[in-house]
Amino acid sequence: MFRTALLSVMLALAGYAAAAWLTHGFQVWTAEGARRLEVALQPVPSPAVRIDGPGIAPQALSQYLADGQSVTLVDFVYTRCQTVCLAMGSSFQQMQRALQERSGQGGPVRLLSISFDGGHDTPGVLQAYATRLSADPALWRFVRVPDPQDTQRLLADFQVVVVPDGRGDFEHNAALLLVDQQGRLVRIFDYAEQQLALDYARHLANTAAPSP
Amino acid sequence: MKPMKMPAVPSRSALACIAGVLLCLLAWPGVRHGLEASMTRHMLVQYSLLMVAGWLLAAALPGRWLARLNLWNAHGISGLFAAALMLAILMIPRVLDLALVDSRIEILKCLALLACGAAIRLSWRPAGLLVQGFFLGNVLPMMAVVGNLYETSPVRVCNAYLLDDQARLGQMLVWMAAAIAAAWFAWLVRALMGRDAAGMTANDEATKPATH
Repeated sequence: MFRTALLSVMLALAGYAAAAWLTHGFQVWTAEGARRLEVALQPVPSPAVRIDGPGIAPQALSQYLADGQSVTLVDFVYTRCQTVCLAMGSSFQQMQRALQERSGQGGPVRLLSISFDGGHDTPGVLQAYATRLSADPALWRFVRVPDPQDTQRLLADFQVVVVPDGRGDFEHNAALLLVDQQGRLVRIFDYAEQQLALDYARHLANTAAPSP
Repeated sequence: MKPMKMPAVPSRSALACIAGVLLCLLAWPGVRHGLEASMTRHMLVQYSLLMVAGWLLAAALPGRWLARLNLWNAHGISGLFAAALMLAILMIPRVLDLALVDSRIEILKCLALLACGAAIRLSWRPAGLLVQGFFLGNVLPMMAVVGNLYETSPVRVCNAYLLDDQARLGQMLVWMAAAIAAAWFAWLVRALMGRDAAGMTANDEATKPATH
């Protein structure tokens, strides 16, 4: 009986340790929660995958994001989407409006939509999509990653999981990704936290940007 | 040299063989990916089959191993406790996502499920009704609560799986918990009635001279 009690206590301790590790000290229960917490604790440098898009010459994503001045809010899209993505488009449209109203104040904040459907979303398609969403090129740009392997690398680095939903659409852990002036992914916000994401981006742009 | 019991040896090796075949089948990439492509198949089918394989492996253990294990497992307490702990951890949604992207977690998950099935096999009979009831009283409500959460959650708890899949899994977990509870209760009633009947005949024998 003593051995059974001893083993049970050891099992309880091991179980506690495993659960605590898995949930980051009982803070998160899902992979998405863990992803957001890990990014906040340890910024993720953006990978040097090649991007192109309307008005953007082919270059490395890391180079584009790390311009040393602007903070970028990134989301992942695919233009074939006709359902939820339209709502997400409108979320970026609202943010664009908010940025236009306060233009010239504080450090620059810009928006970037990255397509993970690089085979279909050519720069021409992205241009038409941008026009449809009345995107202002000064604030909101669209790019794709032409090489499928590069796309996989980008999705893996930013822990974006894309699942075909069997009806011709994709389900993905859509969120607002905040990238700082050095091109590091520093925070991930829910689409519902649009205002918080914008305020945080402005704060980051103001604190780190050199004062004029 | 240990004494050989002729009928026990072939059945034991047969059990080990079945377990081995089942394990090879589950580890085969086509089957594994097929099962893990859906959240319902991943948690209900793959989890259960791995536990069955563990159960068969434990049934194939030679007697002297059992004697040694039983020293640490009085009344099946530590075995069922370990099984409850492992099931609780394996039902955390992050495990499902992690197992898909990290092969170390996948291996640990499979080993835990095998151990879980083995522990139940080794501990169920020694546990008796009381400890069995305690074990089920912990595991089944946990399963039903997790199932209810999966079923009613408006957001996906796993990045790799779709919402309708998650809701279906939740529903099935609740039904499975209810079915196991009902089956065990029926078995309990049968055992108690058998015991009562045995007690009554003994009582009748004992009280006959007094009443007459």
